[in-house]
Amino acid sequence: MTDKKTPLLDELEKGKWPSFVTEMKRAAVKSEAAGELLQVLERSYRERRGHWKHGGIVGVRGYGGGVIGRYVDEPETYPNVAEFHTVRINQPSGFFYNTKTLRTICDIWAKYGSGLTNMHGSTGDVILLGCKTEDIQTIFDEYSEAGFDLGGSGSCLRTTNCCVGPGRCEYACYDTLEACYNITNEFMDELHRPMWPYKSKIKFSGCANDCTGAIARADISVIGTWRDSLIIDQAAVKEYAANQFDIQGQVCDKCPTSCLKFNSEAQELTVNADDCTRCMHCINVMPKAIQAGKEKGASILVGGKSTIVQSAFMSSVIVPFMKMDAENDYEEFKDLVRRIWEWWDENGKSRERLGELIYRVGMGRFLREADIPPVPQMVFRPRANPYVFWPQDELDRSGTALDGSKL
Amino acid sequence: MAKLDQGPPNYKEMLPPVILENYGKWKYHEIPQPGVLKHVAESGAALYSVRVGSPRLLSIDTISEVCDFADQYCEGYLRFTTRNNIEFLVSDEAKVNPLIDALTAKGYSVGGTGASISNVIHTQGWVHCHTPATDASGVVKAVMDDLYEYFTSMKLPAKLKMGLACCLNMCGSTHCSDIGIVGVHRTPPRIDHEKLRKTTEIPTLVASCPTGAIRPDPKNKSVIVNEDKCMYCGNCYTMSPAMEIYDPKNDGIAILIGGKVSNARTAPSFSRMVIPFLPNNPPRWPEVTEAIRSILELWIANARQGERLGEWVERIGWEKFFSLSGLPFSDMLIDDYIFARDTFRTSAGFKY
Amino acid sequence: MAKGPADPAIKAQILEYLAKVQKAKSRDVAVAIGAKKTDVDNAVKELTAEDLVEYLYITTTYICLKGKVQTPNDEK
Repeated sequence: MTDKKTPLLDELEKGKWPSFVTEMKRAAVKSEAAGELLQVLERSYRERRGHWKHGGIVGVRGYGGGVIGRYVDEPETYPNVAEFHTVRINQPSGFFYNTKTLRTICDIWAKYGSGLTNMHGSTGDVILLGCKTEDIQTIFDEYSEAGFDLGGSGSCLRTTNCCVGPGRCEYACYDTLEACYNITNEFMDELHRPMWPYKSKIKFSGCANDCTGAIARADISVIGTWRDSLIIDQAAVKEYAANQFDIQGQVCDKCPTSCLKFNSEAQELTVNADDCTRCMHCINVMPKAIQAGKEKGASILVGGKSTIVQSAFMSSVIVPFMKMDAENDYEEFKDLVRRIWEWWDENGKSRERLGELIYRVGMGRFLREADIPPVPQMVFRPRANPYVFWPQDELDRSGTALDGSKL
Repeated sequence: MAKLDQGPPNYKEMLPPVILENYGKWKYHEIPQPGVLKHVAESGAALYSVRVGSPRLLSIDTISEVCDFADQYCEGYLRFTTRNNIEFLVSDEAKVNPLIDALTAKGYSVGGTGASISNVIHTQGWVHCHTPATDASGVVKAVMDDLYEYFTSMKLPAKLKMGLACCLNMCGSTHCSDIGIVGVHRTPPRIDHEKLRKTTEIPTLVASCPTGAIRPDPKNKSVIVNEDKCMYCGNCYTMSPAMEIYDPKNDGIAILIGGKVSNARTAPSFSRMVIPFLPNNPPRWPEVTEAIRSILELWIANARQGERLGEWVERIGWEKFFSLSGLPFSDMLIDDYIFARDTFRTSAGFKY
Repeated sequence: MAKGPADPAIKAQILEYLAKVQKAKSRDVAVAIGAKKTDVDNAVKELTAEDLVEYLYITTTYICLKGKVQTPNDEK
């Protein structure tokens, strides 16, 4: 272990929240690289600046991603972290683990890496922080042998991610765990061999609470929903009322479409299903009494991303309701995303995300060329200007000859 | 020879028996105490999830210790959450409190459920990122130490989700968080012409700039940066180590608030900037922790039950938020980027 | 998608093109050699498995001849 002092970082071992500095020191007992990482970080704390450089090439044979090149800016001073690359391991759906699997991840990493990890990265992968170029192929070979695969990096399908789903949540409107697993396996080529203008992400959330943040963080956001009416258990409603739960105030008054009515005398809660937008609020606050309907599936929204370059975009609706059937091998969904990716790959400029491309060329063109039928659910409200760019076939359909006959 | 394209481990092998038996048949859940979720299945079976905080940056020794707990109390099953918490999956109710006691004795923090602060999603910062304007883990640690009581209790008006991104590429989920902490560079890259000539292919460097602020300088065999167009994203530094973006004197932190991703009640919304700059003051970033605490306390004092931070501000109005909080308003906070017009008040109705 | 084995002629053209540049997007390679992008992508997949071409991730993904682009700490 290094004997170099880290007075600034030591301050961050105080306090009740678990300390990342303690974690680094723990790793430094066995890894010289982790010890040197502490010194580099202490220096950053002193100088208020980072000391890492990005490098493009560190890969394994046959893949175009999964490892991110990282180099310290003073390799002579810090030889043990001169190369300090990140390995991304594709996580199991829903971040579920048995301890045998977790221990296997740790055992392999103990042999070649710094002993430091992120459980998990923001996209979903297990992040292994800090290894040398010469070990990368061996690291991959051993993880592969143990049943793991690399996640995505670069201009590819990034590692997909899902919420806890039917594994432990009564809200799940489709099997997010299976959808994520099945669809990830379908698109292995897209995930491991970056060939697109930029990255593309898919996130699977089982309901509109959107615990994976799909709408904000995924180019293709799959958000569970239902088509029919909420199901209300009146006996359970009475129980909530008996327990002094403020059904009128906490449920009906907060319903965004005022579609719930509570009869305090009869202690009955009723819904006007036509007005319900399935926002999840009432289910969230009365989980024992209110359930999603029976006709379940997902809404497909596209275009979400963070700020770089054209501002942050939320995904927007392109398919209001789609069955997400494991029995049909998710064919409808797979067919849709293939059309979308093909269109984006054909038209996107370098480093242009799907949402930015749609913004640049227009939603109408996207829908026409990706063969997606326009529906009112796609917009909050229609356009306020008359600047429609009419395609010729529309002119042919709607024009009228001077004699009044159809063209 | 490695097997290519075998995909992630099958989640089905990771599920405890109680989940396999009740898969998709969960009826409801409740939160019997902070940090514990009780999910009840149609069959009557119950699963207890004990949630603990994590710094996300974990050593394998700690993961192995976590595995020991899971082996002893959970038949070897656990999971992580999207927000980097660890959840021990306990199927025997009698083991819940002994597990919590054992975890607490070892210094683990049980909490993060319901109307609490959950773990802060964050990026790598000075630990591993190449374009950070601040550290990530250190700021998170300082903020969570300060707000610790709100992790282990459930006394907030609603849940509060925070994110931290260490530069304005915003890799963390700060753009839709109740409170987003964003590292900001504020000065254009400095060009080391000598290094650039040695290391960099100029056309790709020029192409890397999202705003077209970099143009070739053939005379100099280097490039010129149009400083008015530079948005300080650091993409050019990713392409070339000769374009240093870090600036210890001017780098710092901005605070954005009021975002959410859930559709409950109101549509998902972006976080909005309320403090354009706070200094980097390691190791404990007191200006940042104080600013966040004041915003949090204002929300606690004024919000209605169940109202997320952004819902509260939208109800009272952002102008009212600034007068209540006393935070200085400046033109830095008025959008002048692509979608700015949507944020201008095109109405004669407002408060003071 | 079942793509089948790549066209050896396209593979040879890709190698020839990449010898002339430092790195390129596969789209640009496709335009330069007059092939369909999907065929180029498929050929690149084989060329990387054969250790002749590698992917390079700097803000977006490029392809280059194996070993042609150096890492930041290599001396030039």
